[in-house]
Amino acid sequence: MSHPSQRWIIHVDYDAFFASVEELLNPDLRGKPVLVGGSPEGRGVVASCSYPARVFGVRSAMPMARALRLCPQAIVVCGHYRVYGQYSRKIMSMFDEITPLVEQVSIDEAFLDVTGCERLWGSADRIAGMIQRRVQDELGLSVSLGVATAKIVAKMACESGKPHGLVVVPSGHEAAFLAPLAIEKLWGVGQVTSRYLRSLGINTIGDLAEYPAAALERTLGRHAHGMQQAARGIDERQVNPGRERRSVSKESTYMEDVRERSTLTRTLLQMSEQMAAILRAQHLVGKTVRLKLRYHDFTTITRQVALETPTDQDQVIYEQVVALLDQAWPVGAAVRLIGVGVSNLIEEGGYQLSLWDHTDQRRSRLNVVMDEIRERFGDDAILRASLLERPRDR
Amino acid sequence: MRISCMQESLARGLSIVGRAVSTRSSLPVLLNVLMTTDNGRLKLSATNLEIGINCWVGAQVEQEGAITVPARILADLVNSLPPERIDMQLNARTNTLNLRCGRQEANIKGLDAQDFPPLIIIPDDETPVEVNAGTFFQMIDQVAFAAAQDENRPILTGVLAEIREDTLTLAAADGYRLSVRKEPIVSDARQSSVVIPARALQELRRVAIADDQPVSMLISRNRNQAFFHLDDVDVISQLVEGNFPDYRALVPTHHNTEVTLSTTDFLSAVRVAFIFARDASNMTRLQIVPDEGDGPGKVVVTATSSEHGDNVSEIDATVKGAQMEIAFNARFLIDVLQAINTPLVSFSTRDASSPGVFRPVNGPTFEHVLMPMHIGR
Repeated sequence: MSHPSQRWIIHVDYDAFFASVEELLNPDLRGKPVLVGGSPEGRGVVASCSYPARVFGVRSAMPMARALRLCPQAIVVCGHYRVYGQYSRKIMSMFDEITPLVEQVSIDEAFLDVTGCERLWGSADRIAGMIQRRVQDELGLSVSLGVATAKIVAKMACESGKPHGLVVVPSGHEAAFLAPLAIEKLWGVGQVTSRYLRSLGINTIGDLAEYPAAALERTLGRHAHGMQQAARGIDERQVNPGRERRSVSKESTYMEDVRERSTLTRTLLQMSEQMAAILRAQHLVGKTVRLKLRYHDFTTITRQVALETPTDQDQVIYEQVVALLDQAWPVGAAVRLIGVGVSNLIEEGGYQLSLWDHTDQRRSRLNVVMDEIRERFGDDAILRASLLERPRDR
Repeated sequence: MRISCMQESLARGLSIVGRAVSTRSSLPVLLNVLMTTDNGRLKLSATNLEIGINCWVGAQVEQEGAITVPARILADLVNSLPPERIDMQLNARTNTLNLRCGRQEANIKGLDAQDFPPLIIIPDDETPVEVNAGTFFQMIDQVAFAAAQDENRPILTGVLAEIREDTLTLAAADGYRLSVRKEPIVSDARQSSVVIPARALQELRRVAIADDQPVSMLISRNRNQAFFHLDDVDVISQLVEGNFPDYRALVPTHHNTEVTLSTTDFLSAVRVAFIFARDASNMTRLQIVPDEGDGPGKVVVTATSSEHGDNVSEIDATVKGAQMEIAFNARFLIDVLQAINTPLVSFSTRDASSPGVFRPVNGPTFEHVLMPMHIGR
């Protein structure tokens, strides 16, 4: 019973992506609780954790210190972001072979619209199975997939099957699939909204779908309609391949507030290197560089600058954020959090060679060599001398 | 001062000198235009202290005099007057200029002419170089675009002007490209080599005059100024101080591949490629395929945007040397191809990471050196 405008959408989410890549790089980690993220002594957070760690209640975005209290035996590794970028790209290019309609949502998540691909590859659930097998066989990574007629349903189907799941919601069964799920599971419903909905007696997605529309609109306003449509599994949003990664960013909270420029600039250098490595791994260049500062009193500012030539070079990003820091930061002000972002991303199309200044060419070659060394020996294998820890920093 | 002139000629004069009026200045008089009676004509002058322009307008002078009035107000007023005779009279006591045209009358408050900085006094000991306007303007078009836009290296925002024996050379370069244009001259002018702001030459270029009129150029080393005189317009510019890099060292002497093709076909292919290239750092690839006995050689121009698609165009070409692929910034290619006005253009290079040299075929002595883009993938 297929409707003419019937679509088939697959949502793919890589299971414990960073942690799984770490296991590939170091097989000794396999089966053990692995946490990828910032230093436990500081205010670092968990960027990714393996399933054995999740058993202890550890989740991503949790402060590292708390994660280690929950799971003291966990192994903490700081990320190989460039390698993650490469694996992500390998998987994404697998998708590109299947359909041109691939929307990369983040480094470890994508939607595929496989409507009309049946003749070539078979039905949507067969395609999903093929993806899961190929990623496992060719890269040794596990992914979960959801297959449905709408993005929201595919995404939630995928969530429900994690890890290594493959959940198909047949056409016409969307609302029935969603109905028993807790209201918090609905994509786009946050803590505040869910608390409010529960106060109305809406505990499941099904409750929301059946709630009188007029009453809901009085209290939730213009969001009511969209939310109720979502609860019924109706989601007209297209898989938009144009929405590539629009920005990369990284921020970190200091263990203690920092007032010294030299400490701030060293963090910025480290972050600039990580941003640039991700850009290079994904063959992207950015036109805008952004600095974020949060002071001890939680006032937060961001400053950005547009570049004349888009870049994927550590030094260019670093010079720009330091210039932004010098403009924005009142010398001596206590900084709690600092962040670097690069946005306005476009494909790396190669770089313009210079007529007489060959510094850029040399720097660029240096970065390529550093990337290769880090890929083989880890992110700490080669460092800029200015990033070496000095005794007084300890 | 009491003078009359036609609205059209005053409007033209004000639009020419208006390019040199300061946009913001701590010296209020620099926002003004100086009006002086001069040998039976009205002389208009404006300067921002970097560039100065004089323009003479035909007038009927009944009483000599001089005044400065706000350029913006005078120009806006004159542009809205009917195309008739404008009678102007200065009240020297109040520094107010009275204008009458048809049934309109206006009074503009001015500042004393004495406060206006003197533009130039031509030193008698210097000999000017004369070039015809059409040629000189073409030289500017072929060179000035290659000057740097940003002020990181101020010297590169200028155009090198060299007078050596019987040749005038203009050269400009930013970080990525170099334009050099030579023209034979007949002149007794001293050998000299100065750097003129590209903007000054572009302003000069905007003054519309007949191609066969002479432009005389005079360099005053002592005053650190360049002076251009056209029939009824003077453009005076401060020189850029510093040493221009040795451009001769940047022009490659060897090449392995040389291509000759239609300038307009090449330009239109690159313009189409640019539609896709602008998503990808403007990168346009040129695949150069030598003649294969039966057919002609060709240049294949391609650009790819992973988001929006791609484009391929083929152009017949005479190819000497090996097959190769090289990539350039499409915008830079468009700039140089627009500057070449012969039907055929030649392009030569050693390899994909060496500069490409573009020259007009059977045209004036013009060379454009353009660095390629490194092909990332």
